[in-house]
Amino acid sequence: MSFFSSLDISASGLTAQRLRMDLISQNIANANTTRTENGTPYRRKVLVFQQRDGNRPFSDYLSDASRAKIGGGGVRVLRIVEDTSPLKKIYDPGHPDADQNGYVHMPNVDITTEMVNMISATRSYEANVSALNATKSMAMKALEIGR
Amino acid sequence: MINDMFKNTHLLQQALDASWLRNKAISNNIANVDTPGYKRLRVEFEQFLSQAVSRKALTSSVTNEKHIPIGAGSPSRMKIRVMEDHSTSMRLDGNNVDIENETAQLAKNNIMYNALIQKISGDFNKLRAAIKEGR
Repeated sequence: MSFFSSLDISASGLTAQRLRMDLISQNIANANTTRTENGTPYRRKVLVFQQRDGNRPFSDYLSDASRAKIGGGGVRVLRIVEDTSPLKKIYDPGHPDADQNGYVHMPNVDITTEMVNMISATRSYEANVSALNATKSMAMKALEIGR
Repeated sequence: MINDMFKNTHLLQQALDASWLRNKAISNNIANVDTPGYKRLRVEFEQFLSQAVSRKALTSSVTNEKHIPIGAGSPSRMKIRVMEDHSTSMRLDGNNVDIENETAQLAKNNIMYNALIQKISGDFNKLRAAIKEGR
């Protein structure tokens, strides 16, 4: 329904930013993990955002009136990918995961970058909340017509 | 007379439609603030309105309902258009959503919507007063 789709758009933004936040937490928590399930060091995970298409029939695109409609239906997370940048190498011969030269491969997680991304995700989340509140107040105001 | 009674209301109704659509467009822009390659949406209504109003000076008066009005005619059906803004890029990933601007537009649009609601409610109250003979 068109009336509530504005709320759905903001909700999709909130979901996407929360997932981003979850991944950042996951990256920070695993900043020192040298052994994952398949034995390799942890790799930083990032997500890819994509605009979500509203379910529009083809006839919508044909009609002139469809220009007065919003094509997109918010945002969605396309996939979660692993950061392929090289792992950090530190010299620690006593470490159980050290190679024969005494080097340990540490995850490619940079705490500072994660912190900056966390602030960015928080701000985006807040922006979506204010858009949601604006839509809500407008909808409530519309109910007052003729009072 | 009875047809003209809701003319103003009809115009306000379309302005409300445009304002609601603009809110949706801004919500979509804010939701896609981190989407690579996303281009912001904007809603065009005011320029169509001003065009219709300025063209009104050239309209002919109609003395018979079968006459075809010259000029824009009545602003009964105003155009609302959603456009993608491809002119700028905010970041290297091709996204051009300016979050500060969008938030400001959101607040502006919200106030505009409230003003329109007040006006439309006022119109209905006036009508009601007339129907009740001011009692």
